[in-house]
Amino acid sequence: MPLPPDKSGLSDADLAQAAQKGDMGAFEELVARHRDKIYARAYSMVRNEDEALELSQEAWVKGWQRLAQFQGEAGFATWMTRIVINVCVDWLRKQKRERAESIEALNEESGGFERLLPVTMPNPAAGLERAELRRRLDRALEQLSPEHRTVLVLHEFEGLEYKEIANRMGCSIGTVMSRLYYARRRMASLLAGWKRENEE
Amino acid sequence: MNDNIQLDLQAWLDGELPAAKGRRIDTEIAGDEEAGRLIDELRLVKDSLAGNEMGRNVPETREFYWSKIEREIQRRTQTQAQAPRRVIWPRWLAPAAGFGALACLLLLAVFPINQPGFDETSSTGEGLEAVTFHDQAAGMTVVWLTDTAPAQPAGSSDLKTPHTGNPEVEVE
Repeated sequence: MPLPPDKSGLSDADLAQAAQKGDMGAFEELVARHRDKIYARAYSMVRNEDEALELSQEAWVKGWQRLAQFQGEAGFATWMTRIVINVCVDWLRKQKRERAESIEALNEESGGFERLLPVTMPNPAAGLERAELRRRLDRALEQLSPEHRTVLVLHEFEGLEYKEIANRMGCSIGTVMSRLYYARRRMASLLAGWKRENEE
Repeated sequence: MNDNIQLDLQAWLDGELPAAKGRRIDTEIAGDEEAGRLIDELRLVKDSLAGNEMGRNVPETREFYWSKIEREIQRRTQTQAQAPRRVIWPRWLAPAAGFGALACLLLLAVFPINQPGFDETSSTGEGLEAVTFHDQAAGMTVVWLTDTAPAQPAGSSDLKTPHTGNPEVEVE
């Protein structure tokens, strides 16, 4: 049965089913519903508006091509998020290959100076409004290397386990643990620094 | 505190340690102030991030954003349709083809088909060279005799003069 012209009242599952049968209108509705979420995930990983736009659109195209694989076990948005993460990880890997190997890059990979930082962590959320805390966290994420940021995003925002992150990023669990550790310590250092600046 | 302990502490915080190792870490934290402080720091970052991701909206209108996706889907569908169709062989043919190739090799080893149309053999004796050609198709053998011995004075030998340069044809 063809879907009504106004699809806003339909569930994701109904729209996905119609899209699987070739209904582009149903797919367009799915894109409209979840485009911000998919774009935001791409942006959180690549930190560049143009790239995030392009990569999120590429993820939607891939989503259309792979619709037959969508079984509905996870929600449609979750399924699409996995696709955009894979697209972004591939892009980051390509970028890394193109990046010249440097002492700085090696230092970044091994954690750099965070390894030696003393632990002096004030609560970054204390006395801050939620919006301000979000801004600071976002600013701190921006400062991380793509590899460290990706691991942190996948673990903290997507709730992926070490093993799953390692599979997606094509590295060992040990590397994931190491990147996550230094990403957190760097975040702690940045947030503590800004907090001190504000208090002075 | 070495790197491995730091990573173990983090794994403990993330619930990624096996139970037995987790109990060991419990003891470690209880007796080590530095380990306790590190755990606190990692936990604060983790808790701060939870539910505090900055949301972002696509900086394009719904129509414009979709139009690029739609165009790309159509372009790829067309490219796919224009691409020459690949012949897809059933998977079971792969081992069958392997066995076939092996059988052919064995047959070739037993019954070589690469025999020349004729055989050539050569034998030399003292003062005489013989070259034999055997044409299998014609069922014919040609023996070419050549006298290579130095010339001898007339009447000095009982030997017959060989058919120098004259082939003897023998038909099988």
